[in-house]
Parts: sequence; structure tokens; C-alpha cells
Amino acid sequence: MKILLLGNPNSGKSTLFNSLTGLRQKVGNFPGVTVDQKSGTMTFQGQQHEIVDFPGIYSIYPKSAEEQVVYNALNALNPQEEPCIGLVVVDASNLERGLFLFSQLADLQIPLVLAINMVDLAERNGVEIKQDVLEMELANTPVVLMNARVGLGKDRLLKALQHQMEHGLKETYFSVSQGMIALEDISLQEQDAEKRFQKASELFHKSVITRTRSKEKSSLDGILTHPILGYFFFALILIGLFQAVFTLSSFPMDAIEQGFHWVSDYLSGLLPKGPFQELVCNGIIPGISGVLVFIPQIALLFFFIALLEDSGYMARAVFLMDRLVRPFGMNGRSVVPLLSSMACAIPGIMATRGIPNPKERLITLFVAPLMSCSARIPVYTLIISVVIPSKTVLGFVQLQGLVLFALYLLGIVAALTVAWVMQQVLRQDRRSLYLIEIPEFKPPHWRNILMTVFDKIKVFVLEAGGIILALSIVIWAVSNYGPTAERKTALRVLKQQEAYISAQNDERERLESSVLLEHSYLGKFGKGIEPIIAPLGYDWKIGIAIGSSFLAREVFVGTLSTIYAHAETSGSYRLKDKLLQEKKADGSKKFTLASGISLMVFYVFALQCLSTLAVARRETGSWRIPIIQLLLFGAMAYGGAFLCYQLF
Amino acid sequence: MKLSAIPKWGKAKIKEINHPLLRTKLLEMGVVPGVEITLMMRAPFQGPIAFQCGNTNISVRSEDADFIIVN
Repeated sequence: MKILLLGNPNSGKSTLFNSLTGLRQKVGNFPGVTVDQKSGTMTFQGQQHEIVDFPGIYSIYPKSAEEQVVYNALNALNPQEEPCIGLVVVDASNLERGLFLFSQLADLQIPLVLAINMVDLAERNGVEIKQDVLEMELANTPVVLMNARVGLGKDRLLKALQHQMEHGLKETYFSVSQGMIALEDISLQEQDAEKRFQKASELFHKSVITRTRSKEKSSLDGILTHPILGYFFFALILIGLFQAVFTLSSFPMDAIEQGFHWVSDYLSGLLPKGPFQELVCNGIIPGISGVLVFIPQIALLFFFIALLEDSGYMARAVFLMDRLVRPFGMNGRSVVPLLSSMACAIPGIMATRGIPNPKERLITLFVAPLMSCSARIPVYTLIISVVIPSKTVLGFVQLQGLVLFALYLLGIVAALTVAWVMQQVLRQDRRSLYLIEIPEFKPPHWRNILMTVFDKIKVFVLEAGGIILALSIVIWAVSNYGPTAERKTALRVLKQQEAYISAQNDERERLESSVLLEHSYLGKFGKGIEPIIAPLGYDWKIGIAIGSSFLAREVFVGTLSTIYAHAETSGSYRLKDKLLQEKKADGSKKFTLASGISLMVFYVFALQCLSTLAVARRETGSWRIPIIQLLLFGAMAYGGAFLCYQLF
Repeated sequence: MKLSAIPKWGKAKIKEINHPLLRTKLLEMGVVPGVEITLMMRAPFQGPIAFQCGNTNISVRSEDADFIIVN
């Protein structure tokens, strides 16, 4: 039978869901919207049942996109044809409003089980629930007191579910109104809600004894939401989070890349030489590696986000930050996704799912790739080392470091500017009500946290991984294939050159791959766009590197070293020196301060990342937003780079 | 007096909420006229405020809190 898991936010619903289903769960989207739909199976007494976990709600009448999902699902129910049971989870400390939601669901005439969760916290809050009274009044509904975090009451809950599966009793206590009220009829909903609340309130006062305890002012909140210390503390947490995502992920990322490199080498010895071997070893395996390499960052970021959410801190951070990002059309909840995009936009964009308002979520998701991510660092540092002199200014400031800082700042300013413009342009289809509950602090529940991490990795690999893999094989193919006759001629010419004949074996290989890249389809692309990128100060070599760096921005550096392998330079093998020594036909330097700055600015803005596009598609449900991002950021990159090249 | 005007740790009783959507939503969360609340937190620069009602802390933006009248 189908079990619908419904309940208030912060009532421990997810904990209960995880405890009932274990790893037998899957995450998807509700039809037509990007709201997580979690469902899973559980088996008891030899029968398998499906459980659907719905977003937390206070009422069946929606005020947000997430709540709309629940309304639609309840509206579509057909108990005659497909019997189901509602498992209503409420917080024992806030039973009154729990009973309110319960009353709405009861009047829909679905058989229900009422799970009153977190009884331990309620006891500490001085709440005593008389289960016998509740059970007497709600004659047709089993009532279970429980604490899902430690598994208390789980057996009783299973028995109660079994009971309802056999008997399917419908609750008659409330019957304030039958069926659903039209969504547009706010005033009827309000009247209904008032009657309902009275009835729920009566039941509450009959069945609950509250000993008024003088609430001690929480000293933890005194610090964590303090007007000054609170921000200081939040900054510390962010720095820690950022550092962790950044540094802890580098080892497993290297390991993944090394591991796949090894597999690719191993297989290339095993498979017969030919197009199939090349496709597998140079196209598919590096492509898979390029997907999996994001897992450490995703895992770490969501580990920390889930930790902050589960402990109750996140709601405080949202509370503190809301005012600062509101002028830019964002929500306090946008801060963590946005700042974590400075490590990598992939987990950053995935984290925007926590933003309830669709407009605020879209803005955050849209501007996140403008924050300079860690994959831009190799590009920035290479170009800085080439065009920015290593000297100190103002006595102590390192000029190269200052430029790097300026690039980061430019990204942040661009993100906020685009957000501000979007805030002015986009229509708000529903008035945004920022009304959030700040839960009590709780020790984190590790199982919940690990389940979140696991879900996010699964979603990324299964739903974005395929696209990333397919597109990276395309890029590999265009950079490794080209017109055969032309490539043969080019190789023949190379082999007659003095530099080639006198070179060692590995140097010869480098020269060959450079020539092959130049005469590949990607090389043709680079030369084809040269007239377009000439006003930015780039030649076809940079064009090729820009094209190939769609795989990942850091590929820019690798591609340039391949192309420059055969640049005739005296002695030095270092890419930096080769770039510095390259001369134009008239003898002037090719790579100048102007073209360097132009290139760095280009990389600040341009959405040079297939994986980001794939994830934005998954998170918005269509290609529309990623294509707009690609074009808009591309235009900003072109305009910015053009301006810089002309100015410097 | 407006909810946004009470000081930190100040106690008050909800009198009325002059905004239909906010009124319904708060009702669903258990905040109804007559109920006692305590102002718990206040974010700087006219940011959100948070008040305690029963065993829960609810935070609203200060411009929304202007619709909530207390005494």
C-alpha cells in the first residue's frame, strides 16, 4: 500500500523517512517542478509498501511552490482506486498546529496515523501529552508517541500502520468541512482555518498539560545571532567551510584523476590499437573521470550544509544574512550556495534547492557561475605570471596577489549586478512571504547527514553525469580528429624540419601532437574564430584553448602547452617563457599586458564549463536557463575583454 | 503598536494582523490574536525579527512585521 508521509516542517519527518526506508529510497522531481520527490520502500510482515515523503507544510493550502506540490498530490488522490494511508508527523512541542494540519487531512477522508515526534524535547519544554485522551477523542486514528532520532516508538508505529492497512478507518472528530476549498478563495480558506483552529485548540487543551517554564534566554543564540558576534561567527564558519571544500577535496580529486589515468593507460595496452581504443582510453574514460572528479566537492559541501541545517544553525545564518542580500533579489538562504560557488559552481547550484521562493532561487542559481571557482585559478595564475610583474606596491602589497584578488572581486561584483538587474526585470508571481521557523539547536543526526550527501551524489552522477560525459566525448573527438589528408601533409612537413630531426623521442611526440591539434576540427574552429577574437587580443592558439576549456577551465593551460610545444623558443620548456617570448610578424611581443588582462577578464565572466550547464539544466528542468546563462555571460566576457584590450 | 517596534526580550499579545496572506499563514503556524509572544532576536539594519510563540521561534521580515499589531 502507498503511505503518504505528511507533516509540519522541522517535525523530524525526514529522520522518520530515513529510518523507515533505509537505503531503499530514490530522489526525483515532482512532475513539472524542481522540488525533490523522495520515495522509498519498506517491508514489514512480508509485504512491501511504498512511502512518499512530501515537503513540510503547515496547511494543505499552499503559500509556496513546495507546498503547491503537496496540494496537487492530495488533489489527485483517488482512495477508491488506489488505497493509501496518511502518516502525519507532528512536533510534540508544537502539537496545537500539528493538530490543525491533521484536521485538514482527516477531513479529506484518508485513513491516517498520527505520529507525535520528538517527545523527549517536548518533555524538556514542559509538555505532557495524554495519549489516552487523544486516542479517545480521535477514535479512528492510532496515535503514536515517538522519538524517531533514536528509534523510540518505531515498533508501535509499524503496528499502527498495519492496523490502518487492515481497517482503513477514517477520522470523524473534526469534520469542519469536506473536501478542498478552491485555491483562489482565500477568504473561505481563512474562515475554514479559524473554525479548524478552534477545534484543534479545544482538543489540544484537553489532551496536553503545559507547565509554563520560565524560558531561559538561550546563551548560544545570544552569541550566534548577536548583531556583531553573529556575523563574526558566520564568517568563521564560512571560511572553515570554504577551506574544507577547497583543501580536503584536492586529495580525493587527484586520486580519482590519477586512478582513471592509470585505467586508461592499462586499457590502451590491452586493447588493439585503433579508433575504438582511442575512443575508450582518451574519450570515454577521461570523460567519466571528468564527471566523478566533482564528487569530493559535492560530498564535502553537502556534508557541511546538512550539518548546519540539521543542527539548526542554518536558520540563524539565514536570519542574519537576509537583509544583506535582499536588495539583490536574494534570500538569506542564497548566501551559502553563492559563496560555495567560489569553490565550485556545481554543488553551489545544487544547493539552491533549499531556497523556497522560485524567483530568489532562480536569481541565485543564475549568478552563481560568476563567482570565480577553483578551476579558474590555474588560468589566472598562469596569465598573471606572464603579464603582471612580480613586485610590491604601496610598500607591502604583492602586485600579483592584488590582481588575483581583483579578479575575485570582479566576479562577486558581476554576480551582484546581474542579480540586481534580474530583481528589477523578473516578475514575482506570488508575493514572497519570508516566514521561517528557527528550530531549537539539536545535536546533528549523522545518518540524516550522510543520506543527504549520498542523495546529492546520486542525483549529480545519474542526472547530470550523462550529459557531461556525452559533451566531453564530443570535445575530445573534435580535438583529435580532422581532415586526414591535411593532417598527413602537416606531419610530413614537420618531419622534415630541423627541430624535429634533432629532437629526442618525447620531444618529437610533443611536436607531433601539437601539429595534429592545429590541424584538428578544433584547430579549424580556433582559426575560424580568430577574426572574432582578434579585437580581444587573442590569436587562433588562444581560440583553440578557449574552445577546449569548455571541458573544464583548467584544461586551458594544458591545451596551450600542447599547442606551444612546437613554438620555436630558445631553450626553455616552460609555457610561461614561451608565451613571453612569442613575437608578432613586426617583432613586437604577442602576449602583452593588454591581451593578458583581457584574457583574465574573459575567464571571470565566461561560462566555460559544460558541467555547470548540465547541472543548471537539471536544477531548472530545461535548457532555457543554461543557454541564457551561456549567451549572457559570453557577451559580458566578450564586452569586458574587448574593453580591457582597448584600454590597456 | 507594531510588532516591529517592541524591544528585544519584550513581551506582547497579538492583537490583529492586517494582511490576509500573512494572517492565514500565521494562523496555520499557531499565531492567532490573543496569543502571547516574546521578541527573541533582531537582525541589524532593519533585518528580520524573530519572536517566540509557544515552543517555537518564528522569524519575519521587519516590513511584514509592520502588519502585525500587538499590545
